[in-house]
Amino acid sequence: MSGPIRHDGMRRVTVAQGETRVSDEPEVVLTTVLGSCVAVCFYDPVVRVGGINHYLLADGTGSDQTSMQRYGVYAMEVLINAMLSMGAARHRLKARIYGGAKMRVGFRDIGSANIAFAREFLRAERIPVVGEDVGGSIARRVEFRAALGLARCRGVDNVVSIPVTRPIARPAVVSSGDVEFF
Amino acid sequence: MSRTIMAVDDSPSMRMLLRAALSDLGYQVVEAEDGIHALEKLQVAAPDLLITDINMPRMDGFGLIAEVRSQGLRGLPILVLTTESSDEKKQRARDAGATGWIVKPFHPDKLAAAIRRVLH
Repeated sequence: MSGPIRHDGMRRVTVAQGETRVSDEPEVVLTTVLGSCVAVCFYDPVVRVGGINHYLLADGTGSDQTSMQRYGVYAMEVLINAMLSMGAARHRLKARIYGGAKMRVGFRDIGSANIAFAREFLRAERIPVVGEDVGGSIARRVEFRAALGLARCRGVDNVVSIPVTRPIARPAVVSSGDVEFF
Repeated sequence: MSRTIMAVDDSPSMRMLLRAALSDLGYQVVEAEDGIHALEKLQVAAPDLLITDINMPRMDGFGLIAEVRSQGLRGLPILVLTTESSDEKKQRARDAGATGWIVKPFHPDKLAAAIRRVLH
């Protein structure tokens, strides 16, 4: 996995909105900054593989619930499939949920919708949630040492890169719903 | 009489979404959670269409398609519904006997059009 090696020997890889990253390399730190977005970290302690996604399902402009769920399930499935491709097993996955802050007073609380989706998805898929730091009104930075399953989350101020005013409605999907007949 | 579609996916959330979308379109839905489960259900159910994920435990979508075709169900249309989009995997599905390939997240209108094309 690319990313410069720092003086502490760690290699930080930024996970942008709509992206998914997995790693089994102990020196890799997957990092992301969250406003209203939510990131879900998965870890398989047997094969020591971890992964994280970063999604924003609601954009505050009236995305319908079913459409949100379709893209949310997609975002989760991409991460789970990436984990499975590295040897993880679905029944061993443990999850953590981060983000979902309410970043603008008076605006629709889209962070809560993102949190609710994650909780409901993980409940339905029977994936245990072993930790979360969600809600509130401050942005967060998550640093996830995927191969060790160690996550650190802290509040951040004055972060200019958080998409609070012009969020992308959905995970980046190149060919959503495309159909090809053989 | 409404047609029956078997939806095969290891994710309960995805099966729930598919059931809702297909029911809204007027189809009966039979669910299976992987290839083995689908083969078991195919012994007692006779769907008009099979929609299957690729990445599943026990038996994946490629295995399911190959088994279905080897059992003589050549006329049963099979649509793959997956997050995958590589040409190599599409070719594998085509070689196994799939009818078509749909990339998740599915768009309800595109899904409906694809179903109509293979069923009507």
